[in-house]
Amino acid sequence: MEKLFKVSELNLILKYALIDLVRNYRKIFSIILTLFISLFILSAILTIENSLKKELNDNAKALLGGDLEIDYHSVEGNLELVNKVKEFTTISNMVEFSTMISTTREDNNQSLFTRIKTVDEKYPLYGTVVHEPEGAINQIHNEPYTILVNENIFKTLSLTINEEIKVQNQIFKVVGVIKSVPDVSGFIVFGDFALAGKETLDLLKLNTLGSFLHYEYKVKFNEGDNTNAIRKRIQDIFINDTKVRLRYPENSASGLRRVIDNFSQFLSLISISAMLIAGIGIANTLLSFINQSNMSIAVKKALGFFSLNIKTIYYCQLLILLTFISIAAYGLSFLLVPMADTYLSKGLGLNIKPLFSIFTFIKIFLVGLLVLVIFSIPTINAIDQVKASNLFRNVFQNLQFYYSKKSIFVSLLFLSVLILLFVIGSARPLYSLFYFGAFFLCLIVFFLLSKFIIFLLKSLKSTSNIPLKVSIKNITQTKSIMPITIMSLGLGVTLLLTLALVGTNFKREVAKSIPEIAPDYFFIGIQSTDRDTFEETILSMDNNVRLEIVPIISSGIVKINGVDPKSYIKRDNDSYWVIGSDRRSSWSDEVPEDNPITEGKWWDLDQPNKLQISLDAKVAKDFNIKIGDIFTLSIYGRKIEGEIVNFREVDYRDLSINFAMLFNPQFANTIPHEYLATAKFENPTKFKETVMLDNLPSLSIIKIADYLTKVTDILNKVFIAIILISTITIIIGLIVISSAIIVQGKVKEFQNLVFKILGFSKKEIVLSSIIEFILIFFSVILIAVLFAVIGSYYVIEHIFELIWQFDLKVLFNLGLSIGLVTLVLIMLTNLKYLNPKVYPLIRNQ
Amino acid sequence: MNTLLKLKKVNLKYQTDKDTIKVLNNIDLITKKKDTISIMGESGSGKTSLVMLIGGLEKATSGKIFFQNQDITALSEDEVSEIRRKHIGIVFQSFYLIPNYTAVENVALTLELNKFKNPQQQAKELLDRFGLKNRFNNLPSQLSGGEQQRVAIARAIAMKPDLILADEPTGNLDSKNSVMISNILFKYVKEEGSSLIIVTHDSKLANKAKRKIKIKDGKIV
Ligand SMILES: Nc1ncnc2c1ncn2[C@@H]1O[C@H](COP(=O)(O)OP(=O)(O)O)[C@@H](O)[C@H]1O
Ligand SMILES: [Mg+2]
Repeated sequence: MEKLFKVSELNLILKYALIDLVRNYRKIFSIILTLFISLFILSAILTIENSLKKELNDNAKALLGGDLEIDYHSVEGNLELVNKVKEFTTISNMVEFSTMISTTREDNNQSLFTRIKTVDEKYPLYGTVVHEPEGAINQIHNEPYTILVNENIFKTLSLTINEEIKVQNQIFKVVGVIKSVPDVSGFIVFGDFALAGKETLDLLKLNTLGSFLHYEYKVKFNEGDNTNAIRKRIQDIFINDTKVRLRYPENSASGLRRVIDNFSQFLSLISISAMLIAGIGIANTLLSFINQSNMSIAVKKALGFFSLNIKTIYYCQLLILLTFISIAAYGLSFLLVPMADTYLSKGLGLNIKPLFSIFTFIKIFLVGLLVLVIFSIPTINAIDQVKASNLFRNVFQNLQFYYSKKSIFVSLLFLSVLILLFVIGSARPLYSLFYFGAFFLCLIVFFLLSKFIIFLLKSLKSTSNIPLKVSIKNITQTKSIMPITIMSLGLGVTLLLTLALVGTNFKREVAKSIPEIAPDYFFIGIQSTDRDTFEETILSMDNNVRLEIVPIISSGIVKINGVDPKSYIKRDNDSYWVIGSDRRSSWSDEVPEDNPITEGKWWDLDQPNKLQISLDAKVAKDFNIKIGDIFTLSIYGRKIEGEIVNFREVDYRDLSINFAMLFNPQFANTIPHEYLATAKFENPTKFKETVMLDNLPSLSIIKIADYLTKVTDILNKVFIAIILISTITIIIGLIVISSAIIVQGKVKEFQNLVFKILGFSKKEIVLSSIIEFILIFFSVILIAVLFAVIGSYYVIEHIFELIWQFDLKVLFNLGLSIGLVTLVLIMLTNLKYLNPKVYPLIRNQ
Repeated sequence: MNTLLKLKKVNLKYQTDKDTIKVLNNIDLITKKKDTISIMGESGSGKTSLVMLIGGLEKATSGKIFFQNQDITALSEDEVSEIRRKHIGIVFQSFYLIPNYTAVENVALTLELNKFKNPQQQAKELLDRFGLKNRFNNLPSQLSGGEQQRVAIARAIAMKPDLILADEPTGNLDSKNSVMISNILFKYVKEEGSSLIIVTHDSKLANKAKRKIKIKDGKIV
C-alpha cells in the first residue's frame, strides 16, 4: 500500500483531521487539559533549569571572581609564583575568615558568626558589588577600620550606617550594606558575610593557626590574550606546587550546578509520572471517543476509506492537538521564570531571565508525542474492529483496546525511548531508571488489584443489602471505571505519600539533633594559651554545663601506602572529601563514647614516638584501606608517616565533635595545636556571648540552633515545593477519573433510571456510590501506603543514609484529604446522572 | 463484454457457538451494465447478506464474485475498499449520515475521496437537484428522514458509481417520501447509465426494475 501516502491523500487526511478536531474538541477536553498540565509542568522545570544554567554560564567568570582562581586554601602560598603570574595578568588578592562581630551599645549587645572577606581595590574583577550608600566600597579601601555587612547582619543586629561594631577586639565602623556580590560561590551560600579592606588582616593581628584563613588569588587575563595559552602558562608555573588548586570559570558554582541538576531530575521524574497517569486517561477518553464515532468510522469504510486512512486521521488530530498544546505549555512556562527569579534571587543573588531553546521545545514535544502514541496505539488500533457491514445490521459492537503483537512491540519501543530520554543526560541515570522500574511495578500492582477486587466481588455471595448489591454490580460490570480509577488514583497517591514520608523523615532527622544530642554552641579558634581561660569562663556561667574540649590540627593526606590518593580515588567517591583538602583531626586518650571500634586496637602505648591513626570505618571501606596501611600526612608543611591501627564507626549526624581521623595523643601533643569545643548548657540563657568575647576576642561562636533554623527553613521551603508539584499527579489523576465518569455517564444515567423505575430512593443510589467509593479508595490507600513505606524507606535509609520512621499522622492527614477531595469530585460528577429525566430516556430507548 | 457482476456458486455461512447457519446457498447471478434489479424476499431470507457480499463488505465462505471481471473474493480488504470507493455507491435503510458533518460535507466526502475538483460545489449542485437547496449547511440531526435519505443517495451517487446498492432504502420512510426517493434513484440510474440493485419489500418499487429476483432460504427462486 505504498500509494497510501500520496500528497493529495495526506491533504485529504489533514483536512478531515482538522474538521473532526474542531467539531469534537469538547469531547476530548480532558485529553487537552491533562496533556496541557503535564506538559506545562515539564516545560516549567526545563525552562527554569535552562535559564538558571544560562545565568550560571553567563556569569561564570563573575561567580568565580576572575578568569582563573589560584586557591591556596589555608596558607598564604608561594608568593613568588603568584608574582610571576602577576607579570602578565591582573591579580586581586583576598583572604576569607570566620569570626564573631558584635554590637557596642550600652546594653543588650548581640553578636553574630560572620564570614569576612578582605579585598583589595581590584575586587571585583568581574561583576559589581551592589551596595548602599554609594561609594561605601571605596571607603573600606581608603579608611581603616571600616566594614560593609550584608543585609541580614544589618537587620539581625539592627545596625545603622556608621554604627560601630566589634570585630574580635577591634572597633570597626559599618559604612554600608551589601545587597549582593558577584562571586557568591566563594561564600557559604546561606551564611552571613562582610567585606573589609585588605589591611584588616593586619589590624586584627590574626593568627594564622586560629582563624581558618582562606587565601585566594583571582586572576584576570589581559584583553585579547588567548585564554587557553594563558591558562597553560599559569599551569606550568604551578606545576610543582602541590598545595595549590587552580579553578576555572566552567567549574564555578559546581555545588549549585549539582543541586540544580539533581533537583531538576527529580522534578522531571514527577512530571513524567503525571504525564503517564494522564496517558491512562487519554487512552480511556480516546476509546470512548472512538466508540462514539463508531458509526462514522463504519460509514467511511463503506465509502471506501482504508482502515489506515481513518487511523491516520485520528493520529493527525492528536498531532495537531499536541502541537498547539506544547507550544502553549512551553510559551506559558516563561511566565513562571519571573516567579522563580524572585524566589531565587533572594537566596542566591542570581537574576534569571527566560531563555528560549528550540531543543527544549523539541524535547517537550517529543515527550508529549511519545506519551500520546504509546497510549493511543491500542485505542486507535481498535478502529480495525469496526466493520462497515454493521451499517446493514444496525448494530455496533463496543470497541475494546486492541493489542496486536506488532502494536505491543511498537508501544514498548516508544516507551523505552521515552524512558531513555529521561534517563540519559539526567544527573543520576541509575536512580531515574530505578524510579521508572518502581513506577511500572506500581502500575502493574494497581492493575492487578483492580482485577482482584472485581474477581473477589463477583464471587461474593449475593447480599440482601440493596445499595451494596448495586455498588458491587457497578464495580464488576464490563464498562466499570474501577481499573482506571484505581490505577490513576493509586499512582498519584503513592507518589504523594512517598514524597510526604521522605520529607517528614528528612525534616525530623535534621530537627531531632537539636534538643537531645546536639550542643547549644560550637566554639572555634581556642588557642592553646587560652584554653584554661575559656574553660573557666564557661564554668563560671554554668557549673552544670556539658563541655567537650578537643585539640585540633589541620592535616592533609598526601599519600596512602606511598601513592597519591587523588591519582586513583575518583571525585564521586563518597569519602572524597577526606582527601579533597586539609581536614581537621584530633586525638583522644579514650575511645570516644559514640565512636565504637569496629576493627583493630586502640593506641599502642609502647610506641609513643610513632604516629598512630584511628580511621572512620566508612572511609576505610570506601578507600579500601586495611589495618597496618600507611598514610603520609602533611601537617604544617611537614610530611609525617602514620600507621592505621583501628577503624571507628563515626556518626556525623549528631553534630557533636566527630573526626575522620584521630591520632595517638602521646605523639600528637607535641604538634602545635588549638582547641575546638562544644557546650550544652543547663539553660542556654546562662551563656553570655559578649562576656565570652570580651575575654577571648578571637573566639568564634556558632549557635547551633540558629544554624539549624536556617537549614530547617530551607528544607521546609523545598518540602512545600515538592508536595505542591507532586499534587499535580493527584490533580491529573482526578481529572482522569472524572472524565472516566463522564465517559461512562450514559450507562450510569440509564442505570439510575432503571433504579428509579424499580422504586429506589435517591438516598439508596447515593449510598451505593459511597460504598463503591469506599471499596475503591481503601484498597488504593492500603496499597499506596505499602508502596510509600517501602519507597520512602529506601530513599531515606539508602540514598540519604538517615534513619527512617513511620509517620501515621502525615499519612492519615494526607489520605483523609485526598479521600475527601476524591469523594466530593465523584459525587459532583455523578450528580448530574442522579436525576435522570425518565421520559426522554424511555422515548429514545 | 457488458457483464458488470458475476456470482459463481457463492455460499455464505455464519458460525455460531452451537451450529453453522447457511445464509446463502450456491448463488449464481450475472448482471449486465445499466441493469436495474430488485431483490425481494422474506425477512431473514438473505437479501442483505447478498448485497453485502456484492459490495465487498462481507467475505463469501466459498464461490467467486467478479465485479467488472475482477475477482473481488481474491482481493485484500484495502483493494476491495478501493473498488468500492470508485465504483460502488451504497444506500442504507437507516441513512447513516456522519452526524457532525453538514449535508454538503457528507456528500463532498466521497467526491474528495475520489479527488474530484470543487467537491463542495458539486455536492451543492447535486443536493440542489434533490430539492435540498435550503439544507446545505444543516447537520443530519436537523433533517427529516426523507431529507436524510436524499442526502445519503446524493452521497452514494456523487462520484458516479457503476453500481448502486440500496438495501431497503425506503424501509424507514412514509409512502410520500418513499415515492420521492425511488424516483430519484431510478431517474439518476437512467441518466447516468449506472446499474442498480435494490432490496425492497414494496412491490410497486420492485416493479420499476427491469429485472426482479426473489430469494427464499438463501436461494434465488
Ligand atoms: N453475524 C451473523 N451471525 C449469524 N447469523 C447471521 C448473522 N448475520 C445474519 N445472520 C442470519 O442470516 C440470515 C440472513 O440475514 P439477512 O441477510 O440480514 O436477511 P434479510 O436481509 O433478507 O432480512 C438471517 O437468518 C440472520 O439471522
Ligand atoms: Mg435485510
